[in-house]
Amino acid sequence: MSTTLDLHSHSEASEDSRAPLEAYLNWLKLRSTERPVDGIVLTEHRQFNQDADYRALEDKFGILVLKASEVETDYGHVLVFGVTEEMTRRFDFANVHLPAQEVIDEIAHMGGVAIPCHPGRPNVGLCEHYGKKPPLENVIAVEVLNGGSRKGEDERSEALVQQYGYRAIGGSDSHLVSLIGLCATRFDAEIRTTDDLVRELRGGAYEPVDFRPRRKPVPQAIPVEVK
Amino acid sequence: MAVDYDPAIIGRVFETTDPLPVTPEMVKNFCSAIGESNPIHIDAEAAKKGPYGGITAPPSFAVTFRNGQHFFQHVPRYGKQGFDAGKDVEFVGPIRPGDAISLSSHVKEIYEKTGRTGSMVFVIVRSTLTNQKGEVVAHVDHRFMSRT
Repeated sequence: MSTTLDLHSHSEASEDSRAPLEAYLNWLKLRSTERPVDGIVLTEHRQFNQDADYRALEDKFGILVLKASEVETDYGHVLVFGVTEEMTRRFDFANVHLPAQEVIDEIAHMGGVAIPCHPGRPNVGLCEHYGKKPPLENVIAVEVLNGGSRKGEDERSEALVQQYGYRAIGGSDSHLVSLIGLCATRFDAEIRTTDDLVRELRGGAYEPVDFRPRRKPVPQAIPVEVK
Repeated sequence: MAVDYDPAIIGRVFETTDPLPVTPEMVKNFCSAIGESNPIHIDAEAAKKGPYGGITAPPSFAVTFRNGQHFFQHVPRYGKQGFDAGKDVEFVGPIRPGDAISLSSHVKEIYEKTGRTGSMVFVIVRSTLTNQKGEVVAHVDHRFMSRT
């Protein structure tokens, strides 16, 4: 049984989002045909709420809700899955200058997985930093599809994956209710817990999936000779 | 700590403004300026039958009250450029013509973040609006952003 998860989303717990979790889940339930995701991962900016419990909403909507974090490093933004208290003691998640190599290596050592997100984005993505500094080691995957990408950003991310052989994930990076589930990651395995997710990200089979509606091509103007 | 500041500044109230009387003209002019047409804000007779028994100011009227002129001398500044990055308003109770509103402000939060265009520091100033009865009518969070 496969599982499709939006691995990158922000609820109103993030300072720049106005999206309540319940509204996200309601939206996904109403649009389950266009955006067939089984669950979402809340990756709040520069924080992790160990005590947050979303089981009541999970049960109400039948959609899995997992918790992670998006931290900021000297190589751009990084999603951290499988966050533990040990990790939050080791790293100040509010620090926007965390050392990326240490984050990747030590998060892995402590049982989680750290995945650079929107690598094609200026300033906060890997591509720009790889142009100035040595590439990071032990990166297992990057976010190739990001629902907030501007023109050309996902293409740069794809080129990075091709160059370095990274695996690829997708996430909406939603900060607004209507954007949840636009991009996601389809896993071959069933995922019910954060431990399942970390295990599959490390060694399972998965691929990014894009549910963004295709824009209709703009009709070409046909020149007419005026007499 | 992600950004350098004195933690003691968080929550400290620097200044409370003198009560500002809310006149019927102020509410009328505000409604006119924003195109507000709801009768509970502009029509005394209709407002009597409304939920508050009289005219009330539109909720967004809460953002028209200013901090005291000395307040920003106490707020930390970062970088060379900054601008108003938006407001969050929590409406607690109605503001009516005849009320006198005092505004008390403190620094709620300071944080740094990075984005497409570089590093930014945000200073969040929370203003609490209180009427002449001592009732809180609104909280307004002013978000100021500076480039670093």
